[in-house]
Amino acid sequence: MNLLLVEDDLDLGNGVRIALANQGMDVVWVRRLDDALRTLDGGTFDMVLLDLGLPDGDGLDLLFRLRRDRQILPVLVLSARDALNDRLRSLDDGADDYLVKPFALAELLSRVRALARRSYGFNDETIRMRGLALHEPTRGVIVDGEPVELSRCEFDLLALLLKRTGRVVTRRVMEEQVLPGGQANGSNSLEVHISNLRRKIGQGYIRTVRGIGYVIDVQSLVRSTTK
Amino acid sequence: MMQALAQRWKNWKQPSLMRRLLLAQMGVVALLWTMAVALLLYDSYEDPELLKYDKIFQTVLAISQNMADHPDKQQETLAAFDAALLETVGDGDAASDSSPVMQVWQGDRLIYRSTAAVPVILNSAPNRIETVKAGNREWRARTLVSATTDTRVMLAEPSVWRLTVTVMYRGYYLLPLVISLPFLIFPAWLSVRLALRPWRQVSKETAERGPADLTPLSYTPPHKELQPLVQSINSLLQRVRDSTSRERSLIADAAHELRTPLAAMRVNVEALKEQSTDEGQRELMGNLLRSNDRAARLVGQLLQLMRSDAVSDNALPVMLSLDGLVQDRLAMIEGLASARGIELELVCEDRVPVLGERESLVSMIDNLVNNAIKYSPSGSTVVVHVAHEGPHALLTVADQGPGIPAALRERVFDRFFRNPDQTQSGSGLGLAIVKSVIDRHGGEVTLGETAEGGLLVTVRLPLAMAEAPQPMLCS
Repeated sequence: MNLLLVEDDLDLGNGVRIALANQGMDVVWVRRLDDALRTLDGGTFDMVLLDLGLPDGDGLDLLFRLRRDRQILPVLVLSARDALNDRLRSLDDGADDYLVKPFALAELLSRVRALARRSYGFNDETIRMRGLALHEPTRGVIVDGEPVELSRCEFDLLALLLKRTGRVVTRRVMEEQVLPGGQANGSNSLEVHISNLRRKIGQGYIRTVRGIGYVIDVQSLVRSTTK
Repeated sequence: MMQALAQRWKNWKQPSLMRRLLLAQMGVVALLWTMAVALLLYDSYEDPELLKYDKIFQTVLAISQNMADHPDKQQETLAAFDAALLETVGDGDAASDSSPVMQVWQGDRLIYRSTAAVPVILNSAPNRIETVKAGNREWRARTLVSATTDTRVMLAEPSVWRLTVTVMYRGYYLLPLVISLPFLIFPAWLSVRLALRPWRQVSKETAERGPADLTPLSYTPPHKELQPLVQSINSLLQRVRDSTSRERSLIADAAHELRTPLAAMRVNVEALKEQSTDEGQRELMGNLLRSNDRAARLVGQLLQLMRSDAVSDNALPVMLSLDGLVQDRLAMIEGLASARGIELELVCEDRVPVLGERESLVSMIDNLVNNAIKYSPSGSTVVVHVAHEGPHALLTVADQGPGIPAALRERVFDRFFRNPDQTQSGSGLGLAIVKSVIDRHGGEVTLGETAEGGLLVTVRLPLAMAEAPQPMLCS
């Protein structure tokens, strides 16, 4: 995967470059907006990691130019600005994701991978997690090598959870995105669907966070496997 | 009782403009009165009324001459006349210091004197008002000599100093002052009070402002005396406003600038940690990362504090559903909790609308829940409640940690205050941020204890009155 890293800070840029290179990614690192534009013209990249405060301009300008030229190149913004407005503006301007400095390396890697998955999804539409594999176009699910039949709602719920592995999906998001007219179905319909889903794919995957939502952890928690 | 008295005394001792003005006015009145009295006294010294009337002298001369043949009747008539004089001019008492004195001679023989207490008073020349010293006292005296006989009449009045002493002694001077001053004080007090009304208006407006209100005073008095004061207050406010906003942007910039090196440190250490296989080195790098975390959190909290301090003019409160907001935030924080082996639980009623500023409410929730997670032992549960309670939206966060001793429950809201027995690292800013956000939203926060001795934070925010709260979008 070819990444363009636009970051003016020497130590941070170098650190990110080395860390990503360790993960087998090819990183081109530039420190100025001009260089970024030239480099983008000269090569093909799969993703841009973009700092906003650059010495010769605002990273949002680059974003704006990219989007104006109808490039669908995924852009992950790395910024020290954490105010809601800054985040919303970047996303409105066409950024695909936004990460506030300082960030954990694991978080950066997971966002980069998620973004890559989303953007060149045609190469690999299967989301794999531990023993689970979910193929969106065919709506097929395989658990430990065995295909499993899921209802439409159950599949959507599982897909939602798998796309956000490691992050809790709130009950409200699930109800709004997966269960049409969610509240009209009765307050326990989400529980019913999840319970059916668990019965079909096994108990070890979906963890309940009471009152908040559900999560599929990246690593199975010891507690849930021993239960 | 003693305290009340002491307080009164203190009030009385405190300098007051009102008192100064009243004293000055009373002083002027007293001075004018004194001058008037002095002028009267001086006038009667220069030209005593009695000595100016030739008729009186001539009457006495006539009595003396006509009755020269009957000394008994002469004495009697002169005494009667003298008594009449005393009655009119003096105060009727011949022995008094301020009484006039009459002496009549025939040739060299003194045929009548008002009182033997006064020695003989001799003018140097007739028909002139003079000051004569007689028996240790000074007199204003005039002698008239008969044109036909050798009879002489001398009338004398005590000198002005004696008069003054008498006037003072009898209270002619002080009494009017003492009686009239209280009557003067009230109108004077009233007029001063009325005149100072614009002054009080300025001080009222200044006193009513909140600590964060740095806008210029709205009341601009037309008075020449007050305008400079109001102008200087306004220019002071302007300077404070400027320096506060400079300070704020400086700290915000600094916090901002700190984040990049912190991020660089973190990424490099993490990359290094992944390459390292030495357990000892990995542990040290873990320490580095934890310190980095703390610094990052502190920087984040400083920024939050700046934002919640900036009584943001542009941040209009919006209708938010507290239940949805809490659910979202808990979902975000859950990763941190599960990494520490702590279970998060939310018990919430539907549709708890509050009017507020999203970002500051988010930082309030984050700080409360992060705190609970931080002080909870592994394997415990942090329970968050969201509910309606009368006119309030109720948010409680309960943990199973050590709690906060009752004595410290107020102080932990102070900036940078930390429980001295606390072993967990922290900035001491979290609860200060919480408090500042809640204050700005017109709510209240109390710290208590759960049944198991953990900390129970109770937040009450005014419930927004809305027919149908808008569903909140999830981020």
